[in-house]
Amino acid sequence: MTDRRENLILILPGLLLLCVAFFLPILRMLALSVEGEDGRTLAHFQRFLGDAFYLGVLWRTVRLSLIITFVCAVVGFPMAYIMARSSARVRLWLIVMVILPLMTSVVVRTFGWMVVLSRNGIIPELARDMGLAGRSFTLMQTESAIVIGMVQVLLPFMVLTILSVLSRIDGRLEEAARTMGCTFIQTVRAVVLPLALPGITAGAILVFTLSASSFITPSLLGGSRIQVLAASIYRSVTQTLDWPFAAAQSVILFSGILLVLIPYIRQQSRHRG
Amino acid sequence: MHHTAIPLLSAVALVAGATAVSAQSITINSFGGAYEEAHRACIIDPFTEATGADVQIVTAYSADAFAQLRAQKEAPQFDVIHFSGGQEIVGAQEGLLAPIDPASLENADDLYDFAKENLAAGEGPAYSIASIGLLYNTETAPQAPTAWKDLVGGVYGDRLVLTDIANGYGMLGFLMINQVSGGSIDNIQPGLDAVAGLLDDGALIVNTSPEIQQEFAQNDAVIAAYASDYAYTLRKAGLPVKFVQGVEGTPASFITVNLVAGRVNEELALKFIDISISKEAQECFANALRYTPTNATVELSEEVAADVAYGPEAVAGLIRFDPITIEANRSAWVDAWNRTIAR
Repeated sequence: MTDRRENLILILPGLLLLCVAFFLPILRMLALSVEGEDGRTLAHFQRFLGDAFYLGVLWRTVRLSLIITFVCAVVGFPMAYIMARSSARVRLWLIVMVILPLMTSVVVRTFGWMVVLSRNGIIPELARDMGLAGRSFTLMQTESAIVIGMVQVLLPFMVLTILSVLSRIDGRLEEAARTMGCTFIQTVRAVVLPLALPGITAGAILVFTLSASSFITPSLLGGSRIQVLAASIYRSVTQTLDWPFAAAQSVILFSGILLVLIPYIRQQSRHRG
Repeated sequence: MHHTAIPLLSAVALVAGATAVSAQSITINSFGGAYEEAHRACIIDPFTEATGADVQIVTAYSADAFAQLRAQKEAPQFDVIHFSGGQEIVGAQEGLLAPIDPASLENADDLYDFAKENLAAGEGPAYSIASIGLLYNTETAPQAPTAWKDLVGGVYGDRLVLTDIANGYGMLGFLMINQVSGGSIDNIQPGLDAVAGLLDDGALIVNTSPEIQQEFAQNDAVIAAYASDYAYTLRKAGLPVKFVQGVEGTPASFITVNLVAGRVNEELALKFIDISISKEAQECFANALRYTPTNATVELSEEVAADVAYGPEAVAGLIRFDPITIEANRSAWVDAWNRTIAR
């Protein structure tokens, strides 16, 4: 009994914070999304789902998030693997290097990319010098720019999540695989990857949700001509002042992310249970 | 994640700011960057000197500031709020802004009439005006523009910068492009078609003024439709940029200083507004940033006067697109604009 009460007291601050900062706003958002001039209405959802333009924005958001997640996983896994297999000293330095970018504001980092990717930036200039692109070639205001910028912002989340799983895998398993005649690649594929899968899934979900809801980097690097859902919500709130429609878009984004989370939660509970 | 974080953080910052300061303090918004610096030097510091009261500044452009004002309807956090896109008209209609008795402002008599038309309704006085024209690079532009029509002539190709109509100046520039393309304030389709053509030629769209500077400085842009003060900003940054008024007319954006309803510091807020419309403040603003003054007693040097609309006749020649029509259509226009520019 006292145990339970103690637990309750311990969980209370977190629960309270969750209620005030998460559940209440979400409820408010849900209510606002069905608010119409005369009573409740689903018109805002109909407007979004019945309009090829907004469906295009939704599809771009999902597509870009998938690409970003994929690139993060492909880049992040080898990095995390090397970190897990190197000495404690080297690992510490690698972790510091991965975390370091998180210490500057995402806006500052994005401005850095704007300089690098713009028409006179180093990458387009290099491409021009090598005769690969025309005079006005720029990476700014392209989907590629969004992917590049977002991967840099989100890579630490992927790497650190995978690392935490990889460092718990017994190194002797790999040794066993190698003595049984596996090549390095075969070892990674047959032993390390399957064991690291929960970490990769968790990292992928984290990266996917963060990139689907991110707003600053896509709007700075993509410009206003390449819209993602979060930017569209921002426009509805601050420019057209159509808050119910903004809420409806948020609900669609929120339920989309929830849909991605459900299989993951199922999988996790199967593991435990 | 980020889109919820921004309003939340600014709300937290406001609450924190409000509790930390004494009653002898007011909260205002300013527009950041060089504008905020001049605002501080010309209005905020003299105000603090005169009254001893602190000024808390929240950096927010008009649309964002208005969204905040609306969200804080029950418990407003601003005492004085500045708009450049006509938001004061809607704000006054919704009762978010308080009426001002001209008698409570010492400097009200010196203002041109158009700058103080609707004080009684709650629309604050215009304390400066941004005039919208063509900014071009005098060294690299293939041809010096003289008219708005030149923009849509296809001369500038991918070196033309357009501003999103979410931006107040962008909206006015677009309405002017619309007008010279055969449209009117009741029909923006000709303007949208013109913009679609410009985008096909490679024109770029930016959202904020610093991006215009970036395009001019780093991306070989040679022309943009924007405010006269920004030409001066670019010149100060070392770019050979000149401002010209298109022969078809010069759309103007009134920058107003408004009294927020439901706050306790009304007297201080009125004092702040009074200083904003004073001769000294407006001279200072025109000298620092090249904004057109609204106080008839302002005296400017020749050099500064050349960059602004100076004197009663010049001021009378400015075009003001009806902010009420703009507000009424903003939602539909922004939607149509987004569809036009979306890739």
